[in-house]
Amino acid sequence: MIWIGDVLVSQGEGGVYKERMLGGARVWDAYRSKLSALYHVGTGVELTPGMRVLYLGAANGTTVSHVADYVEVVYAVEFAPRPMQDLLEVARRRKNIVPIMADAARPEYYAPLVETVDLLYQDVAQPDQAAIALRNCAFLKTGGYLILMLKTRSVDVRKEPAEVFQDTLDSLTAAGLIVQESVWLAPYHHDHAAIVCTKPSG
Amino acid sequence: MQSYWFGDVDNERCSPFDGDVNSYVDRIRSISASMDAFIPLDWKQSVLCGACRDRADYIARLQAVCIAAAERSIREQYSGKDAELLQMVRTLDEVDTVINLLSERLADWYITRHPMFSRKYRRTPAHVLVKTVREKSKGALGRVAGEIEHLSDTRTALAKEVTARANDVMPNTSALIGGLVAARLLSHAGGLLELSRLPASAIQVIGARTALFAHVKTKSPPPKHGIIFQHRRVHNAPKEVRGKVARVLAGKLAIAARLDYFRGVAVPEFLNPAQERIDAAGKERES
Repeated sequence: MIWIGDVLVSQGEGGVYKERMLGGARVWDAYRSKLSALYHVGTGVELTPGMRVLYLGAANGTTVSHVADYVEVVYAVEFAPRPMQDLLEVARRRKNIVPIMADAARPEYYAPLVETVDLLYQDVAQPDQAAIALRNCAFLKTGGYLILMLKTRSVDVRKEPAEVFQDTLDSLTAAGLIVQESVWLAPYHHDHAAIVCTKPSG
Repeated sequence: MQSYWFGDVDNERCSPFDGDVNSYVDRIRSISASMDAFIPLDWKQSVLCGACRDRADYIARLQAVCIAAAERSIREQYSGKDAELLQMVRTLDEVDTVINLLSERLADWYITRHPMFSRKYRRTPAHVLVKTVREKSKGALGRVAGEIEHLSDTRTALAKEVTARANDVMPNTSALIGGLVAARLLSHAGGLLELSRLPASAIQVIGARTALFAHVKTKSPPPKHGIIFQHRRVHNAPKEVRGKVARVLAGKLAIAARLDYFRGVAVPEFLNPAQERIDAAGKERES
């Protein structure tokens, strides 16, 4: 990851969402992007130029554009038409974003488009976030990483966030993933947690 | 055999798909993989196939196809007749909010110029007050009052259009509860498909979210009705049967929404007995 002092940046064409530029690089704001927040409060996963990424819940393509600055290709899945229009605009100007308009809970519909990836990143506002992640692990190579941005309030508004967090960790572990890191994204994002897992062989 | 976007692969044999971007879009919308016997895509096969030259060509072609597919999906989603109705009714509700806010502010402003003015003991409706302010005030105050009147005219015209569009898009629901309230139900649900998938119990309390969550959290009484209260059938019903009317009406609305989504035309065989049943509920006494 590229840091200028304590500011996280990425190298690429600016002006995607009026982001600030610093020394010719794009500032990656932790208050706007949960992935950036993860790099600020925890370790995360080092993004490298050869990486292939499957990004679920791409939304307006803000975080996607930063990820695309670091890696080889991003497969960006988004379901809603309104944010998809913005995502398409970002994809038209970057060669390595493949926008896919599909439901992340139904990977069978985009499986003929997506190859095996090194990193599965998920940020979706759905109640069954762990199940969606596990279903999409079919695309993850052995030794690859899953970064799950857990929106606890989307799982169940009535449950305590800590309880949802623990339940999710349990179901990921039960499915055979190895949890490497799990942190809350406060003070940048409230009631949101990041879980980093690896997919072991076998 | 596995079908990928660039072609079909069977063991080592691969037959590439040939065509322009549009036919590729048709293809990727028609194929899907079974996740149980899923063999992940390997881009090198597309080169062996002869579909792509190299990695850069592979990504460029896939991106072009995916962008075209997404553009087509977006176009389809917006082409539904309910998409515009949704925006129209939300605009209408926001115009209402703006008119109310501006009228309140205008009254406060007017009072500072006329310290003896009070609305107490006068039955002055808001729009009459606005008219008075426009006629009696000079400068910006008068002009703001004029704008409010102008906006109110727009609001009236928009409301008529919403009702007409709702009668067209959701004829059965509109027949039961009126075009305007039907459109508001649509707006809360997010679309006709979404409304048609809601159970009657959810339709009954659409728009009563605060009361519903208060009920869930603190065991206060559950809300009897949400925005369906706006219809005369519910708010004119005697208080002791109002909940019952709301419940029966919501049950019929759930059926009506499904008829609207799947048939799109008014169904008299359903509407006539449904209207009778709802009217009957208003006359019954809870025993």
